[in-house]
Amino acid sequence: MAQSGKGRLNYRCPSCFMRDLDIDMFYDKDKKEYYCLRCQYTGTEEDVLEKNKMARFRYRSMMKRYTLEELRQ
Amino acid sequence: MNVENRFIVNIIHRPEMVPEYAEKVTGHGKAEDIGRKALLTESLDIFKTQQELAHINGLKTTIQMTYASLFNEEAVALAKKHHEEFGDEIALTLLGLPCTEFREKYKTKDFCIWMFSMEDKMSIVDDVFGKFHDCFGFYPESTGSYYMDAELINYIKEKYPSVKCAVATCWEEGPKAYHTCNNSWYTLMDGGPWAPWIPSKVNTHAPAADESEDSGIVAIPHLSRDLLACYDGNGSNFGTHPQNVLRGMIYEDGKYPYLFNLIDQYRVLGDYNNGIAYNMMFVGPGWMNKMGRWEAPYELLRQSYADGMAYYGELKKQGLLEDMGMAEFADFWRANKRYTEPECALWKDILYGSDKQLFWYCDPFMRVCVNMDQGGAIVDLRPYAAKLEWPVGIGTDHVQDCSYPFLIQEKYRAGYFTHYAGEGTVRSAKISHNGEEVDLCLCRTKAKFHEEKKADGGKVRFLLLEPVDIEFSDLTVKLQTKVVFDEGSSEIKIERKILEMSDPSAEVSINEYMVACYGTTEYPEDMKCVKLNLTGKENKTIDYAYKCREEYLDDADEAYATIGAIKTRVGLRCEGFGKTGYIKEGYAFSPMFTLGYTGTLKNEEVFTTWLSLARED
Repeated sequence: MAQSGKGRLNYRCPSCFMRDLDIDMFYDKDKKEYYCLRCQYTGTEEDVLEKNKMARFRYRSMMKRYTLEELRQ
Repeated sequence: MNVENRFIVNIIHRPEMVPEYAEKVTGHGKAEDIGRKALLTESLDIFKTQQELAHINGLKTTIQMTYASLFNEEAVALAKKHHEEFGDEIALTLLGLPCTEFREKYKTKDFCIWMFSMEDKMSIVDDVFGKFHDCFGFYPESTGSYYMDAELINYIKEKYPSVKCAVATCWEEGPKAYHTCNNSWYTLMDGGPWAPWIPSKVNTHAPAADESEDSGIVAIPHLSRDLLACYDGNGSNFGTHPQNVLRGMIYEDGKYPYLFNLIDQYRVLGDYNNGIAYNMMFVGPGWMNKMGRWEAPYELLRQSYADGMAYYGELKKQGLLEDMGMAEFADFWRANKRYTEPECALWKDILYGSDKQLFWYCDPFMRVCVNMDQGGAIVDLRPYAAKLEWPVGIGTDHVQDCSYPFLIQEKYRAGYFTHYAGEGTVRSAKISHNGEEVDLCLCRTKAKFHEEKKADGGKVRFLLLEPVDIEFSDLTVKLQTKVVFDEGSSEIKIERKILEMSDPSAEVSINEYMVACYGTTEYPEDMKCVKLNLTGKENKTIDYAYKCREEYLDDADEAYATIGAIKTRVGLRCEGFGKTGYIKEGYAFSPMFTLGYTGTLKNEEVFTTWLSLARED
C-alpha cells in the first residue's frame, strides 16, 4: 500500500467538523477514499460533500439577509 | 439604526512572507523550507491582491509590516508607494516573525511574541522596531499580535512612545479554538473585550479605569466576532474575516449573507455606545492561498475577500462608513471615550435561527454576559476590578495561558444544567411557592436596552427584560427583571419585581444566588484559597475545604467571598423583605461556592440585590 496524500482539495473530516474539530483528511488512492486520521470516518469526495451539506443543519439563518431594523429587535 | 451612528472600520493587511498555514498545508509532500522562493513570491502576491481589493473600493488600509517583510525590498517599496498614493498607514506587526533570518538569529521555531521570555520579547521588539526604522526612517504608531501582554505593551510604550494603537487580543479565542485545532493551536486568550479599549498597565484584558492605569495605547481586537456564535463555538468560524466564514461552512452556492449580517450587526452596536460602532477586518495572507484552504478553492477565497471589501466600499460611498488607519483610530477613540464608559452589545442570533439574545457589558471593572434565554441569568463574569497581574510567556507561571480568569463561565463550568449532581456557575434566582420551585434560568425572554444620564456625566445603563409568567399549581406570577449597570460603580444591580399575581394576596419566596468558582479552562482549580463570609449582627466564615458546609444570617449586610488565587473579592448585598444571607461551600464533585439571599415577595414588591467586585487586597 502506497503512502497517502492530500486530494485535489484539502477536505476536513465531516464527522469531526460536526463536533467542532477541524481535522485534515488524507486520500488513499488504492481504496479511492478519504479517511480521517483521528476518527473512523471514510468516504468518497461525493460523500464528503454530502456530509458537509448535512453539517450545515444548525445554520438555519445561514442564507437569510437581515435588515438593520431586524437586527435592532 | 440611529442616523447619527458613526461606523469606523480598520482594514489591516500584512505582507507575511511565510504565511501561517502556507508552509504546513500547501507544502505537504515537501521538506520544510521557509525560504522557498515560490513561497515568498506567492505571499507577496496575496498581499498585493488584498491591497488592490481595498483600494479599488476606495478604502485605505493599515499595512502592518512583518519582520520577514522588512528584509524584502519589494514589500518595503510597496508600503511606501501605497502610503503616498492611498494614505495607507505603515505600521509594524509582531506576527509574521518566522523567516530564515529570525530562525538563524533566535534559534527557535516559536513565533508568538507573548510566549517568549521577557528578555527575548525585549530583544525581538528592539530588533524588529530597529529594522523598521532602518527601512522607513521613523518608528511606527501601530503594532500588534494575536495577544499583547501588559509587560510587552509597557516595554514598547516606554521604548517607542510613538506607538498609540495595537491589535491586542482575539475575542474568546481560548480552549474552544484549541479544541477545534485538535489541541494544537495555543492561543489561549479568553475573557477580553470584543471592541476597542484602553488596556490597563497591569493586565491587557482589563481596561484602564483612569489615567494612572492607562497603558498609553488603544487596543483593538483581532477581528470583530459574532458575540453569540463565538461564545459557544470555534471563534475562528464567526468573525469579520471572510475566509473564517468559509471555514465555518457558512455559505451555499458561493453566497455568504452571514458575513454581511455580521458587519451590519456591528453597525447597529452604535445604538448602545453613544453612536460609535467599530469593525475590523484583518486577514492573514495564508487564508488566500493559491492552493485553496481546506475545501474552499482559491477562487472562492479571493471572491469572499473581494465581496467583503466591496461591501465596505459601498457603505463608504453612501456615507455610512469611515475607514481609518489604526493610529488615526486611536486618536478618534481617545477623543470620544471616557475611561469608565463601558462597551455594550445587545446581540441577536443571526445564524442559528433561534432569536436568542445575549447582552455583553465591558468596563474597567468587569466583563459580563447576560443570557435572555435563561431569564437574564449572568452566564459569564470576569472580575476586571482585581486588575490581576498575569505575566505570560516562558519563565512565568503561564507560558501560554493569557485568559482573564472567570468567576462564572457556563460553558466551561456548567451553568444551570449539570449532570446528575452538583451545581454549575450562574447568577440567577429561584421563585418558590408551597413547595414548588422555578428557576428563572428556565424562563426564556427578551430584553431592551435603556440608559439615563447621571449628574457626573456618566450614565446608568440597564436591561429591562420582558416579564415572564411563572406558573405554580395554584398561583401564576408575572415577574420582571431589571439588570442595572451604574457606570463606574463596579456593581451589578438586579431588581425582581412582581407585576401581577393570580391571587394578589399571595406571597412567594425568592432565592437570589450566585454559584461561582474561578479558572480559565474547563478543568477545576484548587478551591482552598476561597474564604466565604457573612457580615451583619454577627460574622460567619467558611474557609473552603470541600466540606459542603452552609451558613445563614438573618438580615445580613453582605455575603462575600475572597478568592486568593485571583486576588478577587465578590459580594452580594440585598434590599428586600425578610432577607437572609447565606454562603455555601461546595464539595469535591461540585467545586463551587454559592453566595445568596432569600426573602419574600408580595404583589408589586421588589427584591433588589447588588453584585460587587473588587480586588481582594
